[in-house]
Amino acid sequence: MSANSPLLDVQNLVVHYGGICALNSVNLHVDSGEIVAVIGANGAGKSTLMRTIAAVKTFTSGAVLFNGQPLKKDASRVVRDGITLVPEGRRIFAPLTVRENLMLGAYTRSDRKEQEETLEEIYALFPRLKERLHQRGGTLSGGEQQMLAVARAMMSKPRLLLLDEPSLGLAPIVIDAMFDAIVKLNRELGLTILVVEQNASLALEMCHRAYVLETGTIRMEGRGSDLLQDKRVMESYLGITG
Amino acid sequence: MELFFQQIVSGISIGAVYSLLAVGYALVYSVYNFTNWAFDAFMAFGAFMAFYAISLFFMPFWAAALISIVLTIVLSVGSERLAYRPLRLRKAPRLFMMISAMGANLMIVNLLNLIFGGSFRRFPVDAAKPFFIGNVSIGRMDLLAGAISFAILALLWWFLYRTKPGLGVRASSIDIMTASLMGVNNDAVAFIIFAVTGALSSVAGVFYGIKYAVFPYMGLVTIKAMIASIVGGLGSLPGAVVGSLILGVLETLVAGYISSTYRDLFSFLFLVIILLFFPNGLMGKSGDEKL
Repeated sequence: MSANSPLLDVQNLVVHYGGICALNSVNLHVDSGEIVAVIGANGAGKSTLMRTIAAVKTFTSGAVLFNGQPLKKDASRVVRDGITLVPEGRRIFAPLTVRENLMLGAYTRSDRKEQEETLEEIYALFPRLKERLHQRGGTLSGGEQQMLAVARAMMSKPRLLLLDEPSLGLAPIVIDAMFDAIVKLNRELGLTILVVEQNASLALEMCHRAYVLETGTIRMEGRGSDLLQDKRVMESYLGITG
Repeated sequence: MELFFQQIVSGISIGAVYSLLAVGYALVYSVYNFTNWAFDAFMAFGAFMAFYAISLFFMPFWAAALISIVLTIVLSVGSERLAYRPLRLRKAPRLFMMISAMGANLMIVNLLNLIFGGSFRRFPVDAAKPFFIGNVSIGRMDLLAGAISFAILALLWWFLYRTKPGLGVRASSIDIMTASLMGVNNDAVAFIIFAVTGALSSVAGVFYGIKYAVFPYMGLVTIKAMIASIVGGLGSLPGAVVGSLILGVLETLVAGYISSTYRDLFSFLFLVIILLFFPNGLMGKSGDEKL
């Protein structure tokens, strides 16, 4: 692997649901240390993209290379390789305690001491979770559940974190806190992040680079700050006319 | 009064054997949302293997039981590979899994009938000699069946609630897709579940064979475990155990004080009454938690 090849490289990816084409020849890449955002409307194929990279959805053609290697076919092996998805709608194990949820996040790791270190990082970022360690996941508020979903993914010590709509169903003030935490994960812990979001302005503000996905095709790409200024993006995704 | 205590002990013992089967149903149901109808074939198969290990190869009881457990695990895991996994990978509706399970059941039971013949066999162990606590006589096999069944259930509880693979199984019972996102391998979970339930059905088959007889259709008794598991709440492990114990005691009391002819009638009546008042079973949860 050459030094400047991307951590994640998606090439001409085509994905079908039944007979319907959900992603049509998508190309994108994520370099180590980046936050990359994919923005797009409902049904643009954002979740399909995430599910495909996490190997819970199979693709028709194209290639997904992680660290120069083709993606494994099985979700649990992809996690072992270092890609962890925070799924849409959080999908906390509601009957299990916060602690058990976190332990599941660390399912692929065996070194207790390293897991304790990750736990400390998580408590520093989300002190609320430490207070609620023995509470059932289902009793947490929406924002706390999203924190738990991210923390649970961190427990696997991923090299690439996939976030599917982290703002979904959260109050605006909670969304801000969530995005602050995501930026911290990247800046302070050096985590590489690929995030898909409907909330385009927030996503563009925090990311290094972004792609615009429309009906299964990448329409635009560029630096987040540039896309924020782009006329078409402003009209279609930021609700700014002018 | 002595008779009453004898009945209770005997009821708890048979209830414990039912609970092995009911827990098996609950385990499969909690993760895969279908009832493994092949279970009664596994039970009969387990009993046959132990029976022939003793009567043909003169093995000691414990060795025969061990051989039976291993072979039944192979059968159970093998049937998962052949009959369920292909359907699971194609995301087939659960009805197809049930039909596949019925097919596996018919095939195995009829093969047993064909190969070994349909006659009733007495299990070649000395189960008769009772021992006494005061004036209460307790069958030694009753005691052994109860003790071993409870020990196995305790071991299973420890595995599910105190080990990492156990946590993976519990997570899969809640949300199998998200469990795989945590790195829990679905195929490994399937192996664990079918190996465990295979072992449970073999032990149940051996004890049931000792108490009654060994014959190809002996697995029909799993309908009792099915009742127990519905009474307890489908997919709930504690429910399966509680339902089984209640059913075992109820049955023995009916057989002892009313008539053994009416025993099964009461079992089904009991099921209907429970479902009238607890549609989800005694410990069933309508929502997500099952184990």
